Order: sequence, then C-alpha cells, then structure tokens
Amino acid sequence: MPSAALVTPSLETFLESIEAVKASDADDVDYSIQHLVSLLKRRQIRNSRSCAIATAHLLSLVVSKHQVTDIARLIKRVQEVGQKLTDAQPKELAVGNIVRRVLGVIRDEAEEDREGEESIHDEAEGESPLSPKEVEVSSIEQQARSAPSLTSRPLQHGAISSEDLSTSNERLPNTKDDTSSQNRALNLSPPLFAAGTSQPLLKSMFSLLSHPVSSSSTPTVTPGTQTPEDPPSHSIHALVGGSAARDLRAEVVEAIEEIIEELNTADDQIAGYALDHVHSNEIILTYTASVTVQKFLLKAAAKRKFTVIHAESYPNEHESVHATVTGSLKGNSSGTGPDRFHRSLTTAGITVILIPDSAVFALMSRVNKVILGTHAVLANGSLVAAAGSRSIAKAASMHKTPVVVLSAVYKLSPIYPFSNDALIEYGDTSKMFSNEDADLIEKVEVDNPLYDYVPSELIDLYITNL
Amino acid sequence: MNTEVPPMGQENAAAGSTPEKVKETISSSKAKGTPKLGEDLKEPELSKAELKKRSKAEKAARRAKEKQEKATIGQPDVPNHTQQDQTIAPEPNMRNPASGAPGTKQQKRRRSSTANPQRQIPIRTLEPPAPTVTPAPKKDNKNVALFSHLYGHSRRSTMAGAGKDIHPAVAVLGLKMSHYIICGSNARCVAMLLAFIRVIESYSTPPGNSLPRHLTTHLSSQIEYLVSCRPLSVSMGNAIRWLKVKISEVDPDKPEENAKQDLCEGIDGFIQERITVAGQAIATSATERIQDGDVILTFAKSSTIHQTLEKALHHGKRFKVIVADSRPLFEGKALARQLANLGIQVQYCLLHAISHVIKEATKVLLGAHAMTSNGRLYSRCGTALVAMTAKEAHLPVIICCESVKFSDRVALDSIVLNEVAPPDELLDSDEAGSPLSQWKDTPNLQLLNLMYDLTPADYINMVITEYGSLPPSSVPVVHSLSMNT
Repeated sequence: MPSAALVTPSLETFLESIEAVKASDADDVDYSIQHLVSLLKRRQIRNSRSCAIATAHLLSLVVSKHQVTDIARLIKRVQEVGQKLTDAQPKELAVGNIVRRVLGVIRDEAEEDREGEESIHDEAEGESPLSPKEVEVSSIEQQARSAPSLTSRPLQHGAISSEDLSTSNERLPNTKDDTSSQNRALNLSPPLFAAGTSQPLLKSMFSLLSHPVSSSSTPTVTPGTQTPEDPPSHSIHALVGGSAARDLRAEVVEAIEEIIEELNTADDQIAGYALDHVHSNEIILTYTASVTVQKFLLKAAAKRKFTVIHAESYPNEHESVHATVTGSLKGNSSGTGPDRFHRSLTTAGITVILIPDSAVFALMSRVNKVILGTHAVLANGSLVAAAGSRSIAKAASMHKTPVVVLSAVYKLSPIYPFSNDALIEYGDTSKMFSNEDADLIEKVEVDNPLYDYVPSELIDLYITNL
Repeated sequence: MNTEVPPMGQENAAAGSTPEKVKETISSSKAKGTPKLGEDLKEPELSKAELKKRSKAEKAARRAKEKQEKATIGQPDVPNHTQQDQTIAPEPNMRNPASGAPGTKQQKRRRSSTANPQRQIPIRTLEPPAPTVTPAPKKDNKNVALFSHLYGHSRRSTMAGAGKDIHPAVAVLGLKMSHYIICGSNARCVAMLLAFIRVIESYSTPPGNSLPRHLTTHLSSQIEYLVSCRPLSVSMGNAIRWLKVKISEVDPDKPEENAKQDLCEGIDGFIQERITVAGQAIATSATERIQDGDVILTFAKSSTIHQTLEKALHHGKRFKVIVADSRPLFEGKALARQLANLGIQVQYCLLHAISHVIKEATKVLLGAHAMTSNGRLYSRCGTALVAMTAKEAHLPVIICCESVKFSDRVALDSIVLNEVAPPDELLDSDEAGSPLSQWKDTPNLQLLNLMYDLTPADYINMVITEYGSLPPSSVPVVHSLSMNT
C-alpha cells in the first residue's frame, strides 16, 4: 500500500499492497477493502479477470486476518466485504461471482466441520474446493439452500431466489445437449463429469474421488492417497480435532488460493480445446482484443493454418485491437502478471484481416465460425459482452454461422437478466469525436454503450475452462 | 504508378546520352529500333549468364508493359517510358510485375550515379534484390485474397500523368472523387454529368471524323480517367450508358454546334428529371411515411434522406432522428450536423450501439447506392447490419432510391460486387503513435476497407422511388421501365 501513491493505480499495485498487508502484522484489512472499493469505483481495475483476481486476493486477506474463530461471523464478514465491493461496481459481475464462491467454500468447510463423518456424499460434494466446478455447483446449491439469509445479497437485480438458481442449473445441461461434448464442463452430474474430465483436471478428479474414500475408510484403495502435506487435500480428523476453526480458516485461504490459481490458468485451459474447434483453412471472425480468444487462436495456430478476421471494435477497444493485431500489446490493460500474452497471431503465421465493424455483415457469408469473448454469462445463458457483439452474433445466426463464446467459469453469474438495461454500462463519448466536431457535440445526443446484451439464442456453444 | 512517369522520363532523357545507359537499354532498343541501336556494337562481349539475365529481364518487362498498357489506355505517351524502364527491370520483378516500377526507379538512380561502366554488371546482379524484393511480396500479401477480384490498380490520387486529352474539369472532378470531397451516388453522378457538359462544350470534332463516333471515344478516355480515380457508381454507369446512346443517336449531318447544344440540353434534362425531380418526388412520398413522434433511424449520409427529413420538418412534422455512423468515413457526422442545424432533435451513435438505439427507433429510413435486380440493397458498408437489427426489432425498413440507381446486375453477397478502398484510410491520421501506422511492416496482417455491403431483400419492407413505393422485388421491372423511356 505505500507504493500505490506514486504509480498509476492498477491491479498490479493493488496486489502489491495486498502482499504488503499480508506480510505485516498490522490489521490493515479495512484499508485494503477501501482501496479496492475506490479502484473499482474509479474503474482503475476493470475487466472481469482483473476484478475477479483482485476480489479473490482481498477475500483471502480478509479471511486470513479475521480474528474470530466463529464460522457464522466469518461468513458475515465476507458477506459484508462482498456487499461493499459489488456496491462499488455492480456491473462487474465477476466480483459477485468470486464472493459467492468464497462464501460457498466457507460454508462447505463449516458444514463438513459440523457433520463430520455423517454424510459421506455431502462431503464428497462439498469438500473439494480443488475442483472448481464442484465449488461452483456447491456454492450455488449452498446459496439456494440458504436463500433466506441471502435476501440482502448485494445485487441490484434483486435477491437471488432459488428459482433463479435452479433455472441456471437446469439450463446448463440443456445447452450441453444441443451442443457438443464441450459443454460437459457445465454438466452437473458427477459420472459424466468424471468421464469428461480432461488431462489438466486429473489431479482434482483424483482428490474428488479419493477424499471420501480416505475419510470414510472404504476398503477401496485409490492411487491418489492423501497426505497431510498435500495442500489441496485435508483430513477431516485434523478439522475435528484441536482448534477446528483455526484450521478452517487456513483451509478457506487455501481454497481461495485454488480459485486464484484457476483464474490464472483459465485461459490456458480454454485454449486446450482450440484444436477441437479450429480447423485448417477456416475463416474465423472475432471481435475485441480478448486475451482468452487470442490465446485460444494462438493455440490452434500452433498446429493449423487458418485466417482470422478481426473486427476492430471501434470506439471502445480499437486501440487494443490494433495493438493486438500488430503484436505491440503492452499487456497492462487486459492481461495481468503471468497471463500477459506476448505473441501475436501474425507472428504465428496466421493471416489476420483487420476490418472496421461495419464490414462484419459483408464478410459473414465467408466466415466459418465466430469466436467471441464475453464480459459475463448470465443465468439464462445470455451474455453481457462488448457493445457490437449482439449485431455480430445476429449476423452470424442469420448466415447460420456458429457462434462460439469463450468464457471462464468465473464469468458465469447466477443473475437473471430481468432488466437488460441495468447490466449495460455507458462509457466515454469523447472517443467518438475528433476536435473538429466540437460544434456537433453540443447539438446532438450521444451514447457510447460499453456492453451489449446478447440473448442465448444467438449462441451455439460455450467453451469454459473445465 | 502512372504518377511516376514524368520523372522517369526525364531521367531517361538525361541518362540516354551516356554509354552505360545505352548498354542497358539495348534490349529495348532492339525491340523498338531506336537510333541508339548501333552503339551496342561497341561492347558486344556479354557472357551467357548475362544474356540469360537480360532476356529474363526483358520478359519481365514485357509482362509489366502489357499490364501497364491495360491500365493506361487512352494515354499514348505513358507506355513508351514505362517500357524503357521495365526493360532493365531485374528478375524479382517477374514475381510481381505490377510493382516493378518504383523499385526500378530506385535502381536507376543508383546506377546512373555510378561512373564506371565495368562495374555496372556486377552491381546489377548483387544489388537489385535488396530494394525490390522486400516491397514486392509484401504488397501482394496486403490484398485480402477473398477480394482479390476487386483490387484494381491503385487509386489515382494526383493529377500527374493524366492524358493530355483529359478535360481540366474532369481532371479536377476525379481528384475530388478520390478524396471523397464529392461523395455519394447522386452527387458523383451529377458532378460527372456537369463535367461532361463542359467537355462537350469545348469539344470540336477532328477533321475526318463524325461527331457521334469520335465524341464517344473522347468521352471514354475521360471516363477511364474517372475510373482510375475511383470506380464508377451504378448511377454514373447508368448515366453514361444513357449518354452514349444519346450521342450515337445524333444525326451526323447536323451542324456540330447544334448537336453539341442538343446534347448539353439533354444532359441537363437528365439531371433534372432523373435526379433532382426524382429526389423531390421521393422526399414528398417518404414524408408521408413520417408521423408525429416518430424516431427515425438512419445510417451514414444520404442526400435523399436528408432531403426527406428536411421536407418533413417543413411540413411541420415533429420527429427525432438517430444517425448511426461508422468508420472510416464518418459521413453520418455531416448529416447529424445538417439536421441539428435545421433544429431537428438528433441522436448520434456509432454502429456498435445499434442494438441499443434500435429500442427507441420507430422507423428506419436508409439511402441507397444501388438496388440490384434481385431486390437487394447495395449501400454503404454497415447498412446491412442496421437493416438486420431493424428487422429483428420488427421495425419498417424504408429505402429511398432514385430509379437511376437501379442496376441490372444481380448479386447474392457483398463479395461479388463491391469496392475496396485504400486500406490506409482506416488509419487515424491524428494518431501518429498508433500501432497500426506500421501495419505494412507486419507480416500476415491485412487491412480491408470495404465501401459497400449488400442487404438481403427480406430485410427491406419498402423501396420509395419516383415511380412510387414498391417492394424490393419490383426493382427489375422499374429498372427496365426507366431505361426504356
């Protein structure tokens, strides 16, 4: 926190200050909360990913510095912090998503602590913060169960009722059915999940299967036998015996670390599916300078030759699109830390055609696939994505061109879009005018929406990081 | 490329007297039989490799010449110089004859500064690839393969190199068109016809020719020039077709002065009837479609739409206009400004906000560049997105289009029929530090600047012409009707 004054505040400076607070003994949690609140309010931290990372780090700090051992009070504390953060920037849905996941993790730990060996099944479901999908599911279930206590959830779109959540839960398998096996990630039934889990997740799958085994002393011997040193695993006996609450906090912090790890690797995991979807000589249209999409395409570029048509997303993101296509991206705006992406598609031998947004319809008849990044995915599968995405998705569906959306799990939000307009943020209109237009600005109304609401009917496939 | 011709010519003339220069032009001299032919006997010793190289270069030059001649029909003084230039073109040009001239020019400069004739040949083998090879393949890359059929010769942006028989009015008009000073289907058509009036006025039939025959070829060279500045619009094509028929119908026995006067009056009448009055008729008819409280969405700038909205205002209608706009021309800003100055409530947005502003709109009025015979609208790039969004929102999409813009061509998508503008127009001129300013040095990166797109007929509810309001399927009927009258 001392360094933040001199440089432009950003995610990096915030993370540094968090580290500083963590290292020190001083109880400066409130300062950090205020720091993030102000960064969010000033839009100095934006993008779903940056917000999610900042939130996760802050909550980890909050939990680790929390003095009282009572679980209920810990939950309350996290809820309060979450409320502050979502109030600061209600349109960054990722903040709320991360808060919800952390709450889910805490409740899981608490429940497990209480019920102990009683329910093996619940434990298996609730105790694996290592598997992000499980966390997501169980946190949603948890919220559905504890809906009354959540009526004061800090969401401007009303409280999350259990119907919303069940809608989202029902919807996900449906999308899976009508799309490819890609959506197995969203599938909620454990057998299919296990069957569909791919290489990077093996570890968490092992722990998912092995944990109930080790704690319930079923005779089956599993290969991933847990040891206390193994960070993702934890023994119920350790929790039950001794200072349970103290250990619980450590577990929660560990689980949050897992979430952060997942945030950092999500793009690479999504990119792992690239070869299933991008084929040789395809023409792929994309929009905005999404790092997720660029990584996805780069991964495919390693094996295949195809053509990318990049619409420049004027006026809100054209600068970063230009920087992306020319390979001169600085990395401070959209990527963070290790996720920064250096290579451009053109250096990978891929032909990139930069077009103004207006030419999308003209070219759509030759495009094989539209790949979009998104800001958030809502409960009914619709997107909050960069302004202009809707007309692109619509043009694609008019031409029967498949639209693929790349979205990490932290962008999936249980909010149901009753009012689309409330989700849309409006930006600076000065980008739309040059100096010669000074007279025009006074005479006309101008709008510069940053996001579009894209209904789920226009989207053919979601690819997530699970 | 034509623009570089005069300096090259001068160089040639200056260098022509030195022996080394003569030697280099041997091959071309042989072909053309210039008086310098005898001089090459002084240095007959040429190795086989050199001869081979020379014949290769000659071949490249021939190909380049053919290509150039195609591009510069009607300018008899041009091919001569280019041929001399191209004769010494090095082999890399084989790959890309079209881009040979600039590179050759550089070499020539370098070579003419070298005094020793013995050094000439090694230099030629060693040096040339450096300057020429690098620009040549890149230039090829920058053309988007999908649209390769639409890339003609690069657009002329200066008057230099225009043939001597190009009328000054046409020369100026060409430049105005290429710089979008005169932009829009109607404006370009009218401006061209007015320039042709001046061409005809100052025209006199050369002895031994009849006016109907010779004037047509004279006009053709003017049209060639205009095409080299910017491809013709459909309305211009229709007007030219009409004018040529008109000229061919002139009685050869008629006194020249009378014939010219008749033609000029005919052109005036055409402008009046097909564009001015037609525009007014459309405006009147379209005004009836605007009701109090309407929110009219329009895209970019159309003179017909402007006229319509102005008329509606004068009729006392109260409405609001949303002008959608797009890069790189930002034509909508001009319309928004004009309408705001009239006192109309105007909202301005860019194409990315179209799905937001559509919620407010009640009608969509669009101008046209052309209507194809299968009822599709060919208009400024982005129009199709607006029409699609409107269709999705169940709003009526009304096209205002004079029948002179109807085309007998058919097209199914925007790729068959289009115009590719120079990609450099996409760069922000005021942003020198923009990463895109170096785009030509980035391999595999291409910029595509399409001028038009094609809107499917089922997005269009009504086409208002001077013949009345029609569904898009009636376009071919009206077109044949209007061309036969």
